[in-house]
Amino acid sequence: MTQRQGKMDSGVIITVLICTALLVAIGAVLLVDATGRRGSGLSRVYELDAVRLASFDPNLILYHEVGPPIATGFERSRALALGANGRFYIAGDKAVHVLRDKGTLEQVIRLASEPHCVAVSAEGRLYVGLRDHVAVFDEAGQRIVSWEPLGERSFLSSIVVARDDVFVADAGHAVVLRYDKTGQLIRRIGEKDPDRDIPGFIVPSPYFDLAVAPDGLLRVVNPGRTRIEAYTFRGDLEFFWGQNSIRIEGFCGCCNPANFAMLPDGRYVTAEKGLIRVKIYDADGVFEGVVAGPDELVVGGAARVFLSVEDAEASGFDVAVDPDGRIFVLDTIENTVRLFVEREKG
Amino acid sequence: MPQRNDDVTRRRLLRDGLWGACLAGIGGVAGFAAHKGQKVDWLWQIDPYKCIACGNCATHCVLEESAVKCTHVYGICGYCEICFGFFDPEPLAINEGAENQMCPTGAIERKFVEEPYYEYSISKSLCNGCGKCVKGCNAFGNGSLFLQVQHDRCVNCNQCAIAAACPSQAFRRVPADQPYLLKSVDHV
Amino acid sequence: MVRPRLILVALAALLVVGVAALGLERFPPPEFETDYVRPTTTAPNPPQGLWEYVDAGVLAVTLVLATVLILRTRNRKLIFALMLFCLAYFGFFRNGCVCPIGAVQNVTLTIFDPGYAIPLAVLVFFALPLVFTLFFGRVFCGAVCPLGAIQDAVLIHPVRVPRWLESGLRLIAYLYLGAGVLFAAMGAMFVICRYDPFVGFFRLSGNWEMLVVGACLLLIGMFVGRPYCRFLCPYGVILRQLSRLSRWRVTITPTDCIQCHLCEDACPFGAIRKPTEPWPNKEYQVARRRLAFLLVLLPVLIGAGGWAGYELRQWLAMVHPEVRLAQRIYLEENALVEGTIDASDAFRALGRSSDELYAAATQLRDRFGIGGALLGAFVGCVIGGKLLSLSVKRRRTDYEPDPASCLACGRCYRYCPKEHERLKRGREGLVRH
Repeated sequence: MTQRQGKMDSGVIITVLICTALLVAIGAVLLVDATGRRGSGLSRVYELDAVRLASFDPNLILYHEVGPPIATGFERSRALALGANGRFYIAGDKAVHVLRDKGTLEQVIRLASEPHCVAVSAEGRLYVGLRDHVAVFDEAGQRIVSWEPLGERSFLSSIVVARDDVFVADAGHAVVLRYDKTGQLIRRIGEKDPDRDIPGFIVPSPYFDLAVAPDGLLRVVNPGRTRIEAYTFRGDLEFFWGQNSIRIEGFCGCCNPANFAMLPDGRYVTAEKGLIRVKIYDADGVFEGVVAGPDELVVGGAARVFLSVEDAEASGFDVAVDPDGRIFVLDTIENTVRLFVEREKG
Repeated sequence: MPQRNDDVTRRRLLRDGLWGACLAGIGGVAGFAAHKGQKVDWLWQIDPYKCIACGNCATHCVLEESAVKCTHVYGICGYCEICFGFFDPEPLAINEGAENQMCPTGAIERKFVEEPYYEYSISKSLCNGCGKCVKGCNAFGNGSLFLQVQHDRCVNCNQCAIAAACPSQAFRRVPADQPYLLKSVDHV
Repeated sequence: MVRPRLILVALAALLVVGVAALGLERFPPPEFETDYVRPTTTAPNPPQGLWEYVDAGVLAVTLVLATVLILRTRNRKLIFALMLFCLAYFGFFRNGCVCPIGAVQNVTLTIFDPGYAIPLAVLVFFALPLVFTLFFGRVFCGAVCPLGAIQDAVLIHPVRVPRWLESGLRLIAYLYLGAGVLFAAMGAMFVICRYDPFVGFFRLSGNWEMLVVGACLLLIGMFVGRPYCRFLCPYGVILRQLSRLSRWRVTITPTDCIQCHLCEDACPFGAIRKPTEPWPNKEYQVARRRLAFLLVLLPVLIGAGGWAGYELRQWLAMVHPEVRLAQRIYLEENALVEGTIDASDAFRALGRSSDELYAAATQLRDRFGIGGALLGAFVGCVIGGKLLSLSVKRRRTDYEPDPASCLACGRCYRYCPKEHERLKRGREGLVRH
């Protein structure tokens, strides 16, 4: 009798054990995260908290967008220039598109290779920087001349036309080239020269921009040092400004600003890549405010850093300014031109 | 009685037929598969152009220490002084101090080459494949840092657990004679 | 001779993933003034593929050995020793991957994915145990399968599982097989491998959930013999059916059954069938009518299963990452959820259009409709078939193992007095020589 009792007990225990194990197993199977829905489960130190660091006070935004974005008609837009006649000259794919105010495509200038930069002279001549040389077109879009190629390493990234000179930024050689309007090389500017206290440009990525300021000096980005340097046309370094920081006052990452433009009063409009933001600095390089932050510039996205190389490479937005101080931003991701004007104070 | 005998023969015939059919079926499937197969083995690898460095590689691998680690292709690297894959987004100073580094496990080494260039390299033994540096490098740099399955560690599960959990479907099977999907450097 | 541990990855030769294909021009790398040379990226070599062929060879040898030990030598101790060897070799030494159970999915993927071809060794792993089963019964299960071995080794106090429960639970294995094949065919995931309960033990690492599942199964396995093999193993159900047709198979007695009943409780897996008694005349009529009814029911069950599987296509399709992504993107685009997840961030970063994604997902869901219907029909067929087999009584005059359920472990041999006689004769024979 007692033995029978004992047998029954062990039977109950085994049944309970089996049922418990079964329930635990079923629970564990349901907990398996085979599809990664719960994410990595890594602690915060493994998170890149750039988004948090890059957030800024919305009161710093001084501009607002006007009108709908204008489509450039490109798969990959590269550069934007404004003509005196109010036209947009946009380089992209293997062409330059000339657009009139509301975005009507007026002219297509086809090219054999991809243009990297474009500039328009006061007379209406078009200077297009291809990978290793400059091509000049007349107002009708007819090629006038192609300048001497600069070698395999060259990667022209920016071009600007002054009264008598054409300045070309060669990102591949990390040098600015001063030409006369016939394509005659006059001077190489910004090469490392300890005697003249010139540190040299550091250009780790294909973004290397320049402009001529109203004060008559050349401004060139030194992207690797995240600053903007001022040179005379003779190549003397006059001054520089800019600091590396992910915070809104600084330029973020290895090489920024990617592009910039000068306002008529000598202030700067800068565009950063990576963490895309367009900002205003005064003539002394003091941070003034924001034109648009990542929230506004990256369609459909909150402030974020880019997830793929292509994204980041395409994220060097170009900026251009018209004589009224209106800011045009070339969105190289969505391939549009967006217009920003200053908010009314009050 | 003859009735019963009939029954048995019929059953045996049916059984033999089925047996033969099964053998032929196995042979057919095997033949089809073998005919299709080149002599390849497959390994898992990450397509760096799809990877978003979400961090799942660090924790979803069946191994305690993930088989996925960061790889550096020097040919794409800009040798930047201020590397966003190496430095914390808000470093105290631009030097190799541990407090300035982004990598939580200190797996990236920085070495001065010449003004203004610095070489970065990965200590594979320290890297846990979290992809934090990959995110930084992709966002601001040239994307020379990216994650790859290290085949000296990978046990080549028939269903890679990380691949199943990959949010960007960046994992795929690659033939064993091309075990890596490194980013290309078309200027080299 | 030390094989170089690193291969120099000759970048230009190896790389096909391409920036060039995307039409981007890479920016030139820095030029150094010093004699610094850019290091070449090194990547560790994958292990030589030779091991897989060794594995296939070991599989063949152990299968032959298992056949001899189970059908000729009839020695449980030697069978157990071989089983432990296979557990050590295929399990702990070779980490339990690839195994024939998972290979079912590789074969399926080969058939459905034009870009995938099964490695030869995996094909051998898939086919060899099937062929052996057709000839000799489930000798693979008995002594070679490491998953079976790890469970067999922990079985200490077997309890009897009622027939009805056993048959009912076995349905899970059929369902699992169907699901494994379906998801492999759709290129969604190898679920059988992802949810392998024992591979974590073999590797001594893995995600804790599956290790817990494995531990629970082993705990259950102490009392219920080989629970994975009997109720879950998707490969096992294929072997079951093939084993019914096998040319040679395990018999309890080496000669003739003397109806001594001694082996009745010998099998921990409930595979021993008693001799049948003829139907009483009255019941026979009822049984005939039931059989007729079930024969009519079979197509109904198949149809109902197919319909249910088709209706479940939405849920089945969610196993596929593409469909999950499409669902998520749809919810986000229509502001039905807040925020983004890694997958949707990745989708946007990669610049695919959502229309393209939706189209792909719709196509997949349609394919899952067909696959789901087939899966449902298969399950309906299995249920119908089971019901039919329950209402057919086979004539059995002796105690014998059910060829389908017998795992060829050899435990029953020593229960048979005739076996003892045989062994004695053998010993005497040895002495005589």
